[in-house]
Amino acid sequence: MLAQLKPSTSFQAFFRYRQVADKILITNFEGNFLLLTQEEFKRYAEGDVEEESELYKRLDAKNFVRKTYRVADAVARMQARKHFLHAGPNLHVMVVTLRCNETCIYCHASRANMDAVHTDMTPEIAEKSVDIALSTTNPFVTIEFQGGEPLVNFEVVKHIIEYAREKNKSLGKNLEFTMVSNLSLMTEEKLQYLLENRVQICTSIDGPEKLHNAQRKLATMDAFQKAVFWIKRINQAYEEMGLDTTLYHCEALMTTTKATLPLWKEIVDTYVNLGCKALFLRPVDPFGFADRTRLKIEYPRSAYLEFYRNAVNYMIELNRQGVEVLERFAGIFLTKILQGQDPNFLDLRSPAGAGVGQLAYSFDGKVFTCDEGRMLYAMGEDTFHLGHVDTHTYRELVGHETVRAMVLASNLDSQPDCVNCAYNPYCGTISATNHKAQGSIFGRMRENNVCAVHKGIQDFLFEKIATADQELLDIFEKWTTIRAREHFVQDSEPANAAS
Amino acid sequence: MSAQTLRFDKQVYAGEALDEAVKAFSNFAAFELKQEDDAWVVELISKSPQMADRLRNEFCNYALGLTIQRGGAS
Amino acid sequence: MGTQLSDIPQGILQAELGAGRVSINLDAEVYPLQALYGASYIFIDRCYVFIDRPDDKVFRVTLSAKDAAPEAEALRALVGEFANELLSCAWRHQITQDNRTIIETVTMQAIAGAMGEPSLDDLASFDFSDEAFDDPLGIAQSWEDKHGKKVQKQDEPEASNEGAAS
Repeated sequence: MLAQLKPSTSFQAFFRYRQVADKILITNFEGNFLLLTQEEFKRYAEGDVEEESELYKRLDAKNFVRKTYRVADAVARMQARKHFLHAGPNLHVMVVTLRCNETCIYCHASRANMDAVHTDMTPEIAEKSVDIALSTTNPFVTIEFQGGEPLVNFEVVKHIIEYAREKNKSLGKNLEFTMVSNLSLMTEEKLQYLLENRVQICTSIDGPEKLHNAQRKLATMDAFQKAVFWIKRINQAYEEMGLDTTLYHCEALMTTTKATLPLWKEIVDTYVNLGCKALFLRPVDPFGFADRTRLKIEYPRSAYLEFYRNAVNYMIELNRQGVEVLERFAGIFLTKILQGQDPNFLDLRSPAGAGVGQLAYSFDGKVFTCDEGRMLYAMGEDTFHLGHVDTHTYRELVGHETVRAMVLASNLDSQPDCVNCAYNPYCGTISATNHKAQGSIFGRMRENNVCAVHKGIQDFLFEKIATADQELLDIFEKWTTIRAREHFVQDSEPANAAS
Repeated sequence: MSAQTLRFDKQVYAGEALDEAVKAFSNFAAFELKQEDDAWVVELISKSPQMADRLRNEFCNYALGLTIQRGGAS
Repeated sequence: MGTQLSDIPQGILQAELGAGRVSINLDAEVYPLQALYGASYIFIDRCYVFIDRPDDKVFRVTLSAKDAAPEAEALRALVGEFANELLSCAWRHQITQDNRTIIETVTMQAIAGAMGEPSLDDLASFDFSDEAFDDPLGIAQSWEDKHGKKVQKQDEPEASNEGAAS
């Protein structure tokens, strides 16, 4: 049909288009969208739309008509979408140790054996890292404890929390702490400390017991059992503290490997049975494992997208039955698509958040644009190394030429393919992943795995939106609702933890 | 000793980049530098005949890399 | 002696399989030098890259394997990936010119927003001097300044070397 179109040179405002099922999706600069029939699209493209027609009203309402294009509306929408531009990093990943007691098949560069005590962050490095983190221009600061396994160096975790809280008294940042842990070294004493200090806890669940224990190996082969025990204990503690358990619960993340793909139903069921309200169906990253391992755990992105569709379709069915569970990728995209807001997920924004939305602090004080950059450094690639907490100031780090280059490279308005893609207003690209997979921070989107995943997920979501099934749209609307978790914001007094 | 003559187009390679490359490789080869209207001409005399080809290739890569890092030839 | 790699038209590409080397002729109007620089830079860690201009309208890029001479398929994959990267760089070059204003505005806002205003300590460490910058290698000097007279001294390679480095 496109070959037969005779486009008008004056009717349409700027738009991009993409076929979605039997409809044509059009999006504009500021991210409004419409799903048109083929016949409607032809009329729009050729400018054959009567001003009194219902189609014209739809087009005009979403700012797709050149004659009535409302610049002020577009500016307001763009400001809402790009709200993150004017503030510095809010996510500060602190790798308090590389030591880890679990051996995961997709993680080698990010961990060290338990006797590698030289990979523990010292209190001095920790304080300097916090000093830089709290220098950010962003009024919101989240310090995320990562590893290795952060519970291995719990004394430094505690030191960071106490030092940051004290220092923040004069700064007044909206300060939060998050810990990403396999939970196997959790104790009741440590948990009480984390609860009292309002630290959000996040763990990894790769799926059902057999899969989880095969991918995440403890010497005792009970990684799943230990994680599940503590997830339940944490959720119980939140309930005892009187917190709304639909909002406050132990979060869990999964990594999708080849073995995951057939188990989409079992994975969703596992999460639902654990009381988790959200799954993040993340594809495996190209970091941190040897090439020989890649053959065992990698898969074509078409296979991933089939997995994704199966899992999310099942989650939608569960929602129809009253079960509250959402998929995070979908939630992020739908917030942008349906609400015109950007939830500031750092890998899915333009420009991406490396260096300007997040910084990663290695155990030895080296600072990186992002955690992926830190992992690449461990693999011998120093592109994303910005400096050191001993020798560099905050402004030197975020003003580093590498950060500038990454901001340029991840701006979708400078990226071939993305400039013409209907998903441009909702999407993002990841420079560190591009560099690892395709040799440059720009990447080549047509051959890019992340792009394939992002396009595939958005195709799926727009196909669903195109059905105009009101019950489904209501479910999607719920998935876009961002509820602030005020309990995790630090104030001067510790919380009363339930023991 | 093994001599090779390399011609670098002036619109592609920066003369300063070639200078810097010559300096960097001076432990491995002797260099004779000339210029023509449209080219920088480098005679590379490798101290190790077995390494001559590799040295030439590495030298060319290095000069191109430096040229690009400088923003180009002009 | 040139060899043909499958699917790539003769005249555009000449391969020397034994040497692990392939040359591609590129229309300089289609692929601007900046795009060629971009693609070449991405490839200098994978292979050796040399660029020349057999005539004003053509760039010739020669890619040589770093290790032992590769199989024809590996060489074809190298050329294919280079061509894809080159096309991507050429288009990006055009896009950045077309969208220059928005790209610069967003970048400026992102970086300036992240850095914030300089503190007094930052200002104290700024270099406000306007003295000539240190140039120990003499790389800011023109080729002519350094080598113009040495063209005559072809029998003094060591002296020329010194000159090049000064």
